Amino acid sequence: MALLEVENLSIGYRTKQGYLKAVDGVSFSLEEGKSLGFVGESGCGKTTIGMSLMGLMPPNGSVGQGRILFDGQDLLQMSEAERRETRWSQIAMIFQAAMNAMNPVQRVGDQIAEAILVHNPDVEKDAAMGQVEALFDLVGIPRDRLRGYPHQYSGGMKQRAIIAMALACKPRLIIADEPTTALDVIVQDQILEEVKKLQKEFNIGVIFISHDISIVADMCQDIAVMYAGQMVECGPREAVFESPVHPYTKALLSSFPTITGEKGDLTPIPGETPNLIQPPTGCRFGKRCPGASPTCSQAPKWVQVGPGHKALCCHC
Amino acid sequence: MEPNGKPILQIKDVSKIYKTKGGLFSGRGKDVVALDRISLEIKKGEIFGLVGESGSGKTTAGRLIVCLEETSSGEILLDGQPVTGLKGKRLKRFRSKAQMIFQDPYQSLNPQRSILDTVSEPLTIHRLGHAGDRKDRVREALRSVGLSPPDDFIYRYPHRLSGGQRQRVAIARAMVLNPDFVIADEPTSMLDASISAQIFNILLKMRKDLDVTQLFITHSLAAARYLCDRIAVMYRGRLMEVGASDQVIQNPQHPYTKALLDALPKFGHSGNRKRYGTLLTRKREVTDELGCNFFPRCALAQENRCNLEKPVLKDLENQHLVACFLSQA
Repeated sequence: MALLEVENLSIGYRTKQGYLKAVDGVSFSLEEGKSLGFVGESGCGKTTIGMSLMGLMPPNGSVGQGRILFDGQDLLQMSEAERRETRWSQIAMIFQAAMNAMNPVQRVGDQIAEAILVHNPDVEKDAAMGQVEALFDLVGIPRDRLRGYPHQYSGGMKQRAIIAMALACKPRLIIADEPTTALDVIVQDQILEEVKKLQKEFNIGVIFISHDISIVADMCQDIAVMYAGQMVECGPREAVFESPVHPYTKALLSSFPTITGEKGDLTPIPGETPNLIQPPTGCRFGKRCPGASPTCSQAPKWVQVGPGHKALCCHC
Repeated sequence: MEPNGKPILQIKDVSKIYKTKGGLFSGRGKDVVALDRISLEIKKGEIFGLVGESGSGKTTAGRLIVCLEETSSGEILLDGQPVTGLKGKRLKRFRSKAQMIFQDPYQSLNPQRSILDTVSEPLTIHRLGHAGDRKDRVREALRSVGLSPPDDFIYRYPHRLSGGQRQRVAIARAMVLNPDFVIADEPTSMLDASISAQIFNILLKMRKDLDVTQLFITHSLAAARYLCDRIAVMYRGRLMEVGASDQVIQNPQHPYTKALLDALPKFGHSGNRKRYGTLLTRKREVTDELGCNFFPRCALAQENRCNLEKPVLKDLENQHLVACFLSQA
């Protein structure tokens, strides 16, 4: 059985302008110890998916329909108390803005110990601190920083502390939402290597969310490309990266500058992402797609293009 | 138009030191050396990339060039005229020639002013044209950055624009005075990839159509390769390597440049790329600041050499300058 199975998930936000469907009918599954990466532009719904897995939707957001099966149990049917049990001890998250994810007036070591104590009430405080020390060793922060405050940490160190916090209760699934966006390339590389190593060591499933397709390809075996609330292509990274079929994936790939290969022109994607309060009825990428035809005004269907590789497009 | 060899901007031995206040009882704080004796020349019509991590001094360099801050020592010349210490009328005249595009389009536009006000403000300040004329120039500038038809945009306010559109307004504002020189300070770090590509292409078009010289400040080597003719790699206030962008990226000579290239995600850039392995996993402890700035992290560094003296930029061949004893040997 898969560790995580998401079926036909739809999530929306009530806004002043109307009901905004941020995620529309997304399905995916993740095996234990494997990694799945979500890529897409801002506003495509990737962070919303992560937040719904954690059960941390903002007050105006709600899951419209679908099922999130974690270990066979539907998270959406659980009571808030039950969810609180699984949150952090089973499913942890590495947040986007590490600099703001910690309490500025509490020592970093204490914050992480607190996460352990809340979920394991029978652990002594000293024992918890011992575990925090071990976690610091694991993520590569010197032990003498345990009693430091977040403002005394550099950006990379804060991100490492956040990773330590995510690992504190030995979760089986970690959701990493743009964990390195604010970091320099060298620090980013070190953190990503760290995450890869820890994932292997503890056999943790990872959902990796990023706008940078090359990082996702580096980190995950499988890639899901999101556009305007829908998943438009998914499959093994080699397939999605090297032989993409959906026009959006192709466009996304050709808009990234690289340092190897031909210096060829970058092709920006013309136009804007559609309004999700009144999404277009047909293919959502239709308006910006270079190969659009009249059939694209119909809702596209999933097409299998290779082993485990499929795309949501009328022309694939 | 291709760069024709005549330098438009000369930076000569420029340093910038920020004095910090220090604690209540500890007296004066430590000086922070943001730029340490930088020398550079940018040719007319060139797009020059300044690459480095945060804190390397690249933004400081940009701010010094447009005279937003004073240099601590050294000289900056634009078109042969000294930039440092300009005041009053001469500063104003200088500002019409050198413009800056800032990093964050969500903060660099005044939310209370319409796009027309924002883009026409430089014209008003420099008393160029009369009201009707100005509006035409604003329309022209908006069209040139791909905001068309411009009349859909001129009465809007920034909150009704997307990030990419805002950054284009910021570019239009910089371009409306027809400057000779533009500094773009990480103009796409807040934007999505597809939108970044639009901005890059606008900057390239600006050079092609208007022959604007540009200093492009970025942390991304890939973006610098795409956009720039030449690149300078900075580390902790010093230039490490300067050269044609392909030269620097295909054939890097400085261990720090190699470390930067190593750190890029591997998968997307084909698996067979070689790793240089020039970065130490554990920093060396150093007590003084005499040696190369990269010495504490350099895997190739030699004791009793790299820690005693700071290497200066030397031309290896074809204007490929490197500040490293090991590659100069």
